[in-house]
Amino acid sequence: MEFPGIILDTSSISPLNKPDQGVIYDMLIVGGGAAAMSAAVYAARKMIKFALITIDFGGIIKETSEIDNYLGFQNIQARDLIEKFEEHVKSFDIPINFGVAVIETTKKDNIFNVLLEDRSQFSGYTVIFATGEHHRPLNIPGEREYLGKGVAYCATCDAPFFRDKKVVVAGGGNSAFVTALDLMRVNAEVFLVNVTKGWQADESIKQRVRKYEKVHFIDNHKIIRIEGKDSVESVVIKNSSDGTEEKIQCEGVFIEVGLIPNSEPVRNLVNLNELGEVVVDCIGRTGIPGFYAAGDVTSVPYKQIVISAGDGAKAALSAYDFLIKNSIL
Amino acid sequence: MAIIPEKDRKKLTDIFKSLSNDVKVLFFTQEFECEHCRMTRGLLEEVAALSGKIFLEVYDFVKDAELTKKYSIDKIPATALIGDRDYGIRFYGVPAGYEFTSLIEDIVDISKRDPGLPKKILNELSKVDKPVHIQILISPT
Repeated sequence: MEFPGIILDTSSISPLNKPDQGVIYDMLIVGGGAAAMSAAVYAARKMIKFALITIDFGGIIKETSEIDNYLGFQNIQARDLIEKFEEHVKSFDIPINFGVAVIETTKKDNIFNVLLEDRSQFSGYTVIFATGEHHRPLNIPGEREYLGKGVAYCATCDAPFFRDKKVVVAGGGNSAFVTALDLMRVNAEVFLVNVTKGWQADESIKQRVRKYEKVHFIDNHKIIRIEGKDSVESVVIKNSSDGTEEKIQCEGVFIEVGLIPNSEPVRNLVNLNELGEVVVDCIGRTGIPGFYAAGDVTSVPYKQIVISAGDGAKAALSAYDFLIKNSIL
Repeated sequence: MAIIPEKDRKKLTDIFKSLSNDVKVLFFTQEFECEHCRMTRGLLEEVAALSGKIFLEVYDFVKDAELTKKYSIDKIPATALIGDRDYGIRFYGVPAGYEFTSLIEDIVDISKRDPGLPKKILNELSKVDKPVHIQILISPT
């Protein structure tokens, strides 16, 4: 048996310059993904007084394995790209509050207050909200019961546990296909099940997956339940056209059917669309003066790292303009 | 071949520069090592080699019964992290994957003799007036 490998996440170990709860910052950046980190780099270069508040670094990028559509990197491990982002951000001496989630953001007398789960709170004249998304569940019988017993949401974390096994992947987009690739590397037999007809993933990744002999493409089918005893043993799928049901024997189910924006902390502050995304204009404004949002948590379509990074930069520049125009700087 | 990649060794060397006090890493294995015991020992040897403040001591689960009992080790591979006193921190199994970060965090905290928790939480914890046995079981997801 090979050594299973190590993951060294130094973000929680390296000493950080902590933000001060008694200070009103020019800008508070909430989040730790591409949008937030890009905003932090732009804010740092403007030399304004700001702090970064994040529960982690990398956000949902951490849950993918390789990235081949970020400009300048033909192919890079997600972990390596996050490290590069993090190194870039930490090259500036930025106060960072790490490891605690934001639960609420309010505004009073033109000052924003960001409240964290441990009841600490930080104040700022502007906020860039870039908290990203989390995995959408299928909400079907068996999903919760078998979580960690065959049901998984992170191929990077869990694919090695399914070596030589049969695994169903729910979804038809890039994430589902990347998951299939991760499973192919451990010689799993993969059943890609997509609720709609056809596949939404990019052609390049589809071609890579199609070369694999042990992959089955089942579109136009809905997974209706996950079955087993102590762990997953099968899933039942239903043909969306004729309603017929079929059982697939498998030991694992990876769910890659989309994401839910982490917008709960601003639900009572800004406009959210029907998907729960923070509605922003083309420069990251939310409708609340001084409050900006960027990245996957926003209504901007196409959840891509490069788009998030660009929107983070735009939001930082917009917030900087706001600070200038309102004579805060 | 080294278990810890060169890039991570460099990072660890930097992190370990901040270690202020010695940390003893007691590893419990057996004469005929199981695969996971061998892996864990290899990993700990590499970690200990990266700092003069980390001291690895390898013990036999059976032959060193007194120590095994002293540190309440009931299964192997077991790793106990000890500072100026025994904080009760044990790792059972291979501290691989994300648990490697936990292992390093614990070494750093023990060396600093500081758990790195906010005062408010420490105050709450100080109210605990009887022994508590916390076991964290790591699952794939």
